Amino acid sequence: MSVTKSGQGRRKAPLSPWKNKKPKEAKVLPGVASLDGRWGFLFVAPFFFMFLVFGLAPVIYSVYISFFQWDPLGGSTFAGLHNFYNLIHDSDLWLAIRNTFSIWALSTFPQMFMAIGFAAILRNKRLKGKSFWRTILLVPNITSVIAITIVFQQLFGRDFGMINYVLTLFGLGHHIDFIEGVIPSHIAIATMITWRWIGYNTLIFLASMLAIPDELYESASVDGASKWKQFVYVTLPGLRNTITFVIVVGTIGGLQVFAEPQQFAPDGGSSKQFLTLTLFLYNQAFVNNKYGYAAAIGIVITFIVMIISAVNFLITRKISDAGSR
Amino acid sequence: MRKGWSAKSALAIGTAVLVSVGIFSSPAKAAAEPMTITIWTFGDVIQRDLVQQYKVLHPEITLEIKKSDLDPLNGTALVTSCADYLRTKRLGTPPDVVAIEVSYSGYWRSYPQCFQDLRQMHTSDANVAGGIVAGKSATDMKKDYLGWRWEHGVGYNDSVIGIPTDVGGLEVAYRVDLFAKAGLPTDRVAVGKLWPTWDAFIATGQKYMKKLSATQKKSGMGFIDNVGTIYAAILNQGTAKYYQNNGTDAGKLIYTTNPQIKNAWDTTIKATTAGIGTRIGQYTADWNTGMNKGTFATILAPAWMMDYIKGQAPDTKGKWDIANLPVSGGNQGGTQLAVPAWSDKKQAAFDFISWYLAPAQELYVFKKYGLFPAASSLYDDAALLNYKDAFFNNAPVGKIYTEGVTKLKPIFEGKLQRAIDQAFGAGLGRVAAKKMTSAKSWEQVMKDLQKVVNP
Repeated sequence: MSVTKSGQGRRKAPLSPWKNKKPKEAKVLPGVASLDGRWGFLFVAPFFFMFLVFGLAPVIYSVYISFFQWDPLGGSTFAGLHNFYNLIHDSDLWLAIRNTFSIWALSTFPQMFMAIGFAAILRNKRLKGKSFWRTILLVPNITSVIAITIVFQQLFGRDFGMINYVLTLFGLGHHIDFIEGVIPSHIAIATMITWRWIGYNTLIFLASMLAIPDELYESASVDGASKWKQFVYVTLPGLRNTITFVIVVGTIGGLQVFAEPQQFAPDGGSSKQFLTLTLFLYNQAFVNNKYGYAAAIGIVITFIVMIISAVNFLITRKISDAGSR
Repeated sequence: MRKGWSAKSALAIGTAVLVSVGIFSSPAKAAAEPMTITIWTFGDVIQRDLVQQYKVLHPEITLEIKKSDLDPLNGTALVTSCADYLRTKRLGTPPDVVAIEVSYSGYWRSYPQCFQDLRQMHTSDANVAGGIVAGKSATDMKKDYLGWRWEHGVGYNDSVIGIPTDVGGLEVAYRVDLFAKAGLPTDRVAVGKLWPTWDAFIATGQKYMKKLSATQKKSGMGFIDNVGTIYAAILNQGTAKYYQNNGTDAGKLIYTTNPQIKNAWDTTIKATTAGIGTRIGQYTADWNTGMNKGTFATILAPAWMMDYIKGQAPDTKGKWDIANLPVSGGNQGGTQLAVPAWSDKKQAAFDFISWYLAPAQELYVFKKYGLFPAASSLYDDAALLNYKDAFFNNAPVGKIYTEGVTKLKPIFEGKLQRAIDQAFGAGLGRVAAKKMTSAKSWEQVMKDLQKVVNP
């Protein structure tokens, strides 16, 4: 309201009917217009309060813990950089980094191609039962991870699993051990992650595809482009930012993979072949009771995420620059 | 309109509150103060039947049973609660009773400060009607329970932190039909005589394997479900595992020098190289399928596993039988009930525990659910000794498990028991998967353990 008042006060006479109309339109939303900066703080305060209590405080506390031999139930002694020194020399850390990135790559990229494919199918205007398909795609995402793992363990069973059964039907290998093998176990875990997240990503790609103006497709087809060429030259460039988004979100999720390998084997496999970073952290804290060491692992994970975020940021900027050119 | 709606909903909520309060508070007698006892448990430790019986005894007490899917054995939640208590000394936060699984007993025995010393508690006259004499402390109860199971609930400083619920025991469940096909004896006494030692057990397995056809072998059939289970069985037959009690909370680590460990490792490797196992992991989908298909002829089975077999392979009824474990008895599993130091209802909690774990109740649970009692005062009870199981070819399971569990000796468990067990298990897994030789894998275990035990 104050805005409209001062606006009218400064101007003596309306210059044109258009200008006259504008202040009237603003009147429709007096509530929002009257809010000044101070009220804004009140509205965002709940988030920042929760963030400080449940987000920032534990982070600071775990940085503190990482400099100690920390026993929550007994005495704790200051250890300086001892935990970090040990961590760098711990072969398990490097193994966990290898496993985490391998599982991340195996789950993110195939999933993205499939999700774009599904989205392209769902975008089809002649598809029957659209909302049914869109809904059903999200079902794996709301299913419990534990339930998914139990079902997939049956599928991936070495002796009686369905996947091994199908493979032997085609004469491909016999009784692949999806738990003991390094790559097979990564594939099995990546499959579970893909199964859970593919529907979510499909919907994101679908939303992004629906935002591409129909005119572009029309003019492309007037120019004689086939469906495939339309997909390559109209759809994919339009998805550029979404692809980056999906990769960024996938990376953050990928560094937190925990429940799937933990359900496969709590120690990450006999030779730690699918020990991921978060599982490594969890086991150090809650099996080996090395809380300080686990906190140090948490900090290393944070640094890895920061590096990846920086790389992502640079790539995103480059892509959006290229897009705007 | 809005106003009308909210008035209506307020009315509805009000009615719901009135109704629920009415339902839940009506049985309470006016004389006793209503009280809620929170119990953190898992699996079948707290049986619904007995909870209802206790409700009849004590209408004023509500037992709030909590189970966690994410933290099934109350590991992390209890650490957090205890750390909170040690820092603030605040009483009255949950739980009032907590179930501690045997794998965690080593850890909690190092932290007796988290629990009420039950030697200092005395039963009140609250459960006299339920057969519990007033004035009994844990010291008085000790004689009613199996010695080595009692020790799982004794802190390194001799305080009693938990009272045992059941004992796993460990015997050999075997398939009568498959033994007959392989030309082995089928009578349970004769079968038990096949393997006075673990070496004889492995030799029997090799005999069984020779009778299998090439296609049967190729389809993954074996004598025992998982040779890895032999390791823990042998370890529990000794008098010490990884630790020795030296009166400190850390305990003395003896895993490098204890010959029992090397013996258990070597025997397990021998069974692995003999190829008598199917390498199927227990509690996996393959295991459940194999149980039905007769993929393996033996399982080292604790008493509570009998119920699992019945549930997973109901069609194999009468095809199973139970024979003695080689050398002596065995154990796998078991639980203690403890009262955390921060409970403000310790008396009521102790009264509940002393009633719930009294021999009479443990016998009831055994008959109804098959959990084998840790109350050794029952072991000459006819009801237990004469108990036979039709599913297991009418084997006198009560008698067999009783004999087995009384043969074991107490073993001191230490703080890092679980982590050390995990490292040895992984080491045996590497050999079984043919990723490493036995010697190399042992070396790797020692290296991994250095990281575990050194700060």
